[in-house]
Amino acid sequence: MDSIAEVREAVKRFPAPEGGVITALDDISLNIQQGQFMTLLGPSGCGKTTLLRAISGFEDLDSGEVRIAGESVAGVPPYRRPVNTVFQNYALFPHLSVSGNVGYGLDLARVSKTEREQRVGEALERVNLSGFDRRKPAQLSGGQQQRVALARAIINQPKLLLLDEPLSALDRNLRQSMQLELKSLQHDLGICFLFVTHDQEEALTMSDQVVVLDHGRIEQIGPPEELYHQPATRFVAGFIGDGTLFSGTIENGAEDPILVTEDGLRISVGIGPSVGTKATLIIRPEHLNIAPQEPDNSLGILDAVLEQSVFQGATRQYVCKLANGTSISVSVAGSGDEALSNVNPGDPIRLAYRRNTPHLILES
Amino acid sequence: MKHPWLKRLLSLHGLLFLAFVYAPIIIVVVYSFNSHPVNMMVWKDFTFDWYLSIFGNPTKLTEQTLYVESTDQLLSAVKNSLTVAVTTTTFATIVGTATALAIYRYHFKLKPFYQGLLYMPMVMPDIVLGIALLVFFINFGVKLGLMSIIIGHCTFLISYVFVVVSARLAGMDSTLEEASADLGANPWATFRRVTLPQILPGIVGGALLAFIISMDDLVITYFIAGVDSTTLPVFIYGMLRRGVKPEINAIATLMLLFSFAIAALGLYFRRRN
Repeated sequence: MDSIAEVREAVKRFPAPEGGVITALDDISLNIQQGQFMTLLGPSGCGKTTLLRAISGFEDLDSGEVRIAGESVAGVPPYRRPVNTVFQNYALFPHLSVSGNVGYGLDLARVSKTEREQRVGEALERVNLSGFDRRKPAQLSGGQQQRVALARAIINQPKLLLLDEPLSALDRNLRQSMQLELKSLQHDLGICFLFVTHDQEEALTMSDQVVVLDHGRIEQIGPPEELYHQPATRFVAGFIGDGTLFSGTIENGAEDPILVTEDGLRISVGIGPSVGTKATLIIRPEHLNIAPQEPDNSLGILDAVLEQSVFQGATRQYVCKLANGTSISVSVAGSGDEALSNVNPGDPIRLAYRRNTPHLILES
Repeated sequence: MKHPWLKRLLSLHGLLFLAFVYAPIIIVVVYSFNSHPVNMMVWKDFTFDWYLSIFGNPTKLTEQTLYVESTDQLLSAVKNSLTVAVTTTTFATIVGTATALAIYRYHFKLKPFYQGLLYMPMVMPDIVLGIALLVFFINFGVKLGLMSIIIGHCTFLISYVFVVVSARLAGMDSTLEEASADLGANPWATFRRVTLPQILPGIVGGALLAFIISMDDLVITYFIAGVDSTTLPVFIYGMLRRGVKPEINAIATLMLLFSFAIAALGLYFRRRN
């Protein structure tokens, strides 16, 4: 596969307003392949927007480099880079019509009038906005403005499209349908998307590769499934998906090894880690079930007290409390577990999980 | 509002306020059509004679009162005022806009201090500015005339344009310029296609304000105008010193109309954007 854009050992520091220095990018390296949908995911202030701006040319790196299509773009101004951006607030030109906005890049390139009209028409059709070309941005809804920004950014056929939290201003329903539309648009156009978001659900839905960033460092790069099932660090485990984290030391158990937490909770884990290793176990709600009367050897057991049972439509969630006070959720498909129908909040219950299912993060 | 009489009292207050502000102006307009030749505050008949007189058409009424100063002098004062206002406005608008753009775009040491210096001429008493300019011109051997008035007006009108354009720039979404660059526009194309259209209402507003202030200025101009470069306000002031003449009402009404036209132009530009 061809590399479209590459970031090598990028470092960027800003002076902090209260004095001192903020390291926005701390030795970041990544590689975007032809046709990929890559997402930069992280909490606000993790450096994801700085990284995007370094690629689009609005921010200079202190060290390291950005390469686009194999060539370093150090010192190349934004208007000469073969990338386009969909801005968070859309940044539509208020004095131009939809057609003027979408055709802006073509006007600059002095494309002939007939070609311009045809390509603007195509771009608007792609985002389902045909017939809106004479409107002003102020006459459009948030979702429509979003589509204009998208059409404007793809009309130059960039090698790489950068999207800076473009869906954050939309309401939930619109956001979900736009996620799927963006994904299929990216597939149809065949150009790389580099998408910035702080919403893990959005990242999981759309991406081929997700880059999780925290404090300017890359925590993990991988496909969504890998991040969810095999998080590399505690941060990734906590940031992506629901679940409860247990940190402790591995000790020998009766059969399999046991993770002993600082407050004395003993949780059996699958085969693998050697005794004495410090580790974190992540148990997600779907890993757990109500323990059968006579559990077999492959199951780990947790004793808990039921706190709340919450109906969520397709699933029912049971919020329980473990002996050490940690709260843990169990998610059961359907309207609920029959075995639990006569368990009331405050009653003890036993939870079971397959020992090898929950992921164990070993600390080196 | 609980009591209806409270509401009525509030309406009355509003009417009184409007009367307080506009009654003198309305009186000037009404009496510019009064044909009483001696006491212009005593209504006699409706006439256009004062208007005819200021444009150099002697009528029975004006001949009889012999109030008319040389119409040539009046027209030359109007011409001087327009020359000064147009030149000053052009210069102040270009320099003020460029300064506002520079202050908006660049960060440098002492920026707030520099900004403060730019606001200063707006709050400085006119009389101080007038004296300072006069002393300056005399010391440096600048001949008092239209040029000295133009230079004098520019010193403070640049500030007005700067303030109005700065306000517009502060309200502009700075990512628009980034979006333009992102789509392939070099800095000049971004300025022409995005920045300029965005701040144009501010530039037009600043220019109209500068024009009106320049047309209207008496105090500073009074100090730095030469003998042969009388502007309209200075001319009117001179007329008043030799007694209030009925033509004054007509001239004031025409100036009022002119100001309204400028204000309407400003409103039209703001609406369009």
